[in-house]
Amino acid sequence: MNPLTRKLIERELHMHRWMIGASILAGLAGLAFVARGGSINFNVGFLIWLTTIVAFGVVVAMFGIASERKERVMNWVLSLPVAHGDYVRIKVVALLLCFCVVWITLSAAAIGLILAQPGLPDGLLPFAVLLCVFMLGNYSFVVCSALHVHSEGPMTIVIVVHNIAITLFMFAVAAIGDISSHMQGPVAVWNPAFWTVLVVELAVFLLLFTLPFFVAARRRDFI
Amino acid sequence: MSTFNPIEFRGVRKAFRFFTLDDLSLDLEPGQIMGFVGPNGAGKSTTIRLALGLLTPDAGEVRLFGHRMPEAQAVAKRDIGYVSDEMRLFQNATVGWHLRFVASIYPGWDEDYARTLLKRFNLRTEQTVKGLSSGEQMKAVLLLALARRPKLLVLDEPTANFDPVARHEVLGEFTDVLRDESRSILFSSHNTVDVERISDRIAFIDRGRLIDSRDKEDFLERWRRIELQVPAGATLPEIPHVVGRESDGQFATLTINQFTKDTLARLGGAVRRVHRMSLEEIFVANVMHHRETRSS
Repeated sequence: MNPLTRKLIERELHMHRWMIGASILAGLAGLAFVARGGSINFNVGFLIWLTTIVAFGVVVAMFGIASERKERVMNWVLSLPVAHGDYVRIKVVALLLCFCVVWITLSAAAIGLILAQPGLPDGLLPFAVLLCVFMLGNYSFVVCSALHVHSEGPMTIVIVVHNIAITLFMFAVAAIGDISSHMQGPVAVWNPAFWTVLVVELAVFLLLFTLPFFVAARRRDFI
Repeated sequence: MSTFNPIEFRGVRKAFRFFTLDDLSLDLEPGQIMGFVGPNGAGKSTTIRLALGLLTPDAGEVRLFGHRMPEAQAVAKRDIGYVSDEMRLFQNATVGWHLRFVASIYPGWDEDYARTLLKRFNLRTEQTVKGLSSGEQMKAVLLLALARRPKLLVLDEPTANFDPVARHEVLGEFTDVLRDESRSILFSSHNTVDVERISDRIAFIDRGRLIDSRDKEDFLERWRRIELQVPAGATLPEIPHVVGRESDGQFATLTINQFTKDTLARLGGAVRRVHRMSLEEIFVANVMHHRETRSS
């Protein structure tokens, strides 16, 4: 990694540092609700935790890519000794790092809470893992779209799809009997249904994560 | 020292849906200040984006300091300061943060010069960019480009957002930069007054085609507007290189693009007055003549 690439990645983390911190605090606050026990606290806390990760992903991608392009900051960055292909790679890596700081912290905290909290069945663990990995893939979808879509209309559709996708995913997983039937159980069941969904999620994530390297980074005209 | 020209275009073509830049060949030599003049939508920004590797030509070749663009843009841009009126800094960061950021990238960063420019442009390091006016933001962008002491400055309408005083200050800085004779500037603008002030070579572009390119003095020496009084019934001799002709009774005005003493000799006593033309007048006459020639 050359020094300019490193500095631009550091800059991205620096620019979003307050949002990263605030999102971690908000997500942890949501989990604190869950830890208090009771179905209302669980629902409220889970919603705060989920919304925090989803919203953080959208905001970071929009600020980091779409706003930078719209406000013409990208023109200045591209005046630096960096090729537009490098710019795309830097954005993908830097924004993934930003997201991962929040995502890893809040995912680990959620899984830790399920393991530590007697009131939460360990059977939730496979579902929690699948949900967390789905959110990673869903975030990659927004980043990938923001790097390929240049107008506001289609980007709005991307955000709507991104937000709805979480709900659809939860419905879909709940419809898989081999997963949903163990969710209230005392032990986590890592059966083939779980592994199949996980592999599909990881494949989608890898596809969306690497697509900009092959498409946006190779674009002939960048501005 | 590099023997390559800072900018070389060879038969470059770039087509968009409603606009085509066609057969552009252009050279910017070391130490030269080229004013790149054209009306809105003429292809100035497209040319500059091609030069910087932000667009890929459909045909032809673009080289910066011998580096083929856009393939070698990261290497070529180390020696280039690019400023455009369509360029903004990070809005939530301070001017000081930008100074440190750019200084850490460019080994040739001139800290003393940066401090001088800060003072001259009345900018403060602790100001956030979003608190600056559009003119001040452009000054900050210019400062960041100038203080890295680039071999080539590419300026795309840099004075568009400036008031007259700011424009005077900034153009003065460009002149200072050019005291180092190895540095070159490509200065795109539709403001011919700015271009005339600092450029030593001028290129006119219109509707995607380069219509003329030569030394500024050459332009100013070759173009004349001649007022004539032609007696009724008399006819003017055939004069070469007349690009414009206006008549009002026995009075006529000719615009000539290759004026010589021979021109006056041919016209004889009909000449009432000979006007030198400003760059703006030359530009307009040149563009109109080429449009008429192309449409016919």
